[in-house]
Amino acid sequence: MMDVGRHPNIKLLAYSEIESISGYIGNFHVRVRKKARYVDETQCTACGECAKVCPVAVPDEYQLGLSLRKAIYIPFAQAVPSAYLIDMKACLGTNPIACGKCAEKCDKKCINYDMQDEIIEFDAGVVIVATGMDVYDPTELEEYGYTRYENVITSMEFERLISAGGPSDGHFIRPSDKRRPKTVGFIQCVGSRSERRGKPYCSNICCMNTVKDTLLLKDHYPDVEAKVFYIDIRAFGKGFEDLFKRSKEAGVQYIRGIPGEIIEDPVTKNLKVMVEDTTTNRISEHELDMIVLSVGVTPRADMPEVQQLLTLSKTPDGFFMEAHPKLKPVDAPTSGVFFAGCAEAPKDVKDSVTQASAAASRAMTVLSAGKIKLEAITSVINPEICRFCTICAQACPYKAIKVEPKKKSIELIEAMCKGCGTCGAECRFGAIKMRHFTDEQTYAQIDAYLEEDPYNKIIVFACNWCSYAGADTCGGARLQYPPSARLIRTMCSGRVDEDWVLYAFRKGAPIVVVSGCHFVDCHYIDANRWTQKRVEKLWDKLEKLGIRPDRLFLEWISAAEGQRFAKTMIDIERHRQRVTKEEIEYTMKVLSEQK
Amino acid sequence: MPDEADFKCLRCGAEFKLHYVKGVIEERTCPRCGSNSVRLLKKKETAGEPGK
Repeated sequence: MMDVGRHPNIKLLAYSEIESISGYIGNFHVRVRKKARYVDETQCTACGECAKVCPVAVPDEYQLGLSLRKAIYIPFAQAVPSAYLIDMKACLGTNPIACGKCAEKCDKKCINYDMQDEIIEFDAGVVIVATGMDVYDPTELEEYGYTRYENVITSMEFERLISAGGPSDGHFIRPSDKRRPKTVGFIQCVGSRSERRGKPYCSNICCMNTVKDTLLLKDHYPDVEAKVFYIDIRAFGKGFEDLFKRSKEAGVQYIRGIPGEIIEDPVTKNLKVMVEDTTTNRISEHELDMIVLSVGVTPRADMPEVQQLLTLSKTPDGFFMEAHPKLKPVDAPTSGVFFAGCAEAPKDVKDSVTQASAAASRAMTVLSAGKIKLEAITSVINPEICRFCTICAQACPYKAIKVEPKKKSIELIEAMCKGCGTCGAECRFGAIKMRHFTDEQTYAQIDAYLEEDPYNKIIVFACNWCSYAGADTCGGARLQYPPSARLIRTMCSGRVDEDWVLYAFRKGAPIVVVSGCHFVDCHYIDANRWTQKRVEKLWDKLEKLGIRPDRLFLEWISAAEGQRFAKTMIDIERHRQRVTKEEIEYTMKVLSEQK
Repeated sequence: MPDEADFKCLRCGAEFKLHYVKGVIEERTCPRCGSNSVRLLKKKETAGEPGK
């Protein structure tokens, strides 16, 4: 942090919040609120005289409330800039009660109670999102008694207790009587790998954090007995298995089983747990002086705000989704935005640093090139046909379309367009054309497929990234699917226009299938939500026209789901066989009249 | 139960309840056949029903 603070090419805006980010790759415009510190950071020498005289004491957030800080404080010892700030909510200030002791004591006259937030605006070429994570709050797990039992603490609190800069100056004590505990238990997977409470995913870091903690404990206090209750120890990674072995060799007991409950002795404040060791199938009871809950990692509570700022998408576990898990693991789906650290997924320090270096390199490739390659497949808007209804702008997952209905102006920012084509499918006036995936091209494909023997064909619209690739996987695996299927590739299922589906029916298709990525896999953030909306509307429309809605299918098939593709097509072929010639002719007639 | 609605699978014909909040688009899957062609069954309006 010191290096960052001193670097001539890095401007560090600490104690600041981003208010808005507009623009696109190479042309981001950022508006930042630099919060008032009430202390001139350029003059403050962090002598600490002000804090000595401050009469207000509040829980210290950095020490997780295990100690107190003053209303004028430094957030933590290594904070950059090394300057004090005033917590105005806690400060007595000068009004209505005149305190002002810190201002009186400050020789350099750094303190200014009237300081205001400052708005800073600047341009940026790229943005790196490194917003970090939160830790799971185990209060809801009543059986563990966290916050009810003083000697049940979290792994984060343990870190503070054992740290030389912690609330007890590195003396390891238990909260109830300030004595050094002789037996310490660690319960793993608290808030992780749980479908019911907490998070269903593995938090990645807790096993090795506990192994490290037990080694620290044994190094400092060899007489302390440490017991780890676990489901399984995930010690993958360089040197981790070795560290785990060292911990066991140091005398730490690893017991494969998670206690169902912690019971506190009201007199001694000791904690009792019963656990079934699944390696021996024996139930054992343990009395411990202190229990550390090895809590998992959760996405930050303010992620929705960041998500909105940069039009990002999230995976089902709540972390930000990368553009591609293997090929673009640090890129966001929005061009010019990159990820570093736990904002993208739970990871340890080494992986965070690796990803941060990769994100910096990716950022530099964009900045040093000076120009970017645009997608060849983008939308083109004809403003002469456009009625400025704004539906295209609403549908665009990248906010690449700027419409001003009052001024009758519309603009597509090509640098932001990724070519999903959802705008084109939503436009009811035909004002949007998509390069290489035009209506005319698609109609020509439908015509060609249905030119001969249309009643025995199934028209399948398949998205490039998932369903079409799923069909490929199916073929590559030599899985059989009915030869009646005729695939039409689109970049995204969001491109499948309502008129394309109706056109296929009008031309005699007995069945139409619209397929795309599962919601979590959508390569265009959330474009396939529009597909679902459109298909749902089409089901209603078909029903109103007297056409069976179950002649139109919607299927989400990923690139790896070759088997699912085959099964889906076999099932749908059975439906096709049940569609009568009379039905098809009726459909063709009704839709021709509609046209 | 609140936030639930009746759905019908267009592929296998199964009828079931799924989480549903009006205006919220979710990926829906038939619990029987795994199809995503899952259609909301709209309640038929009856004369005596309040608010109709």
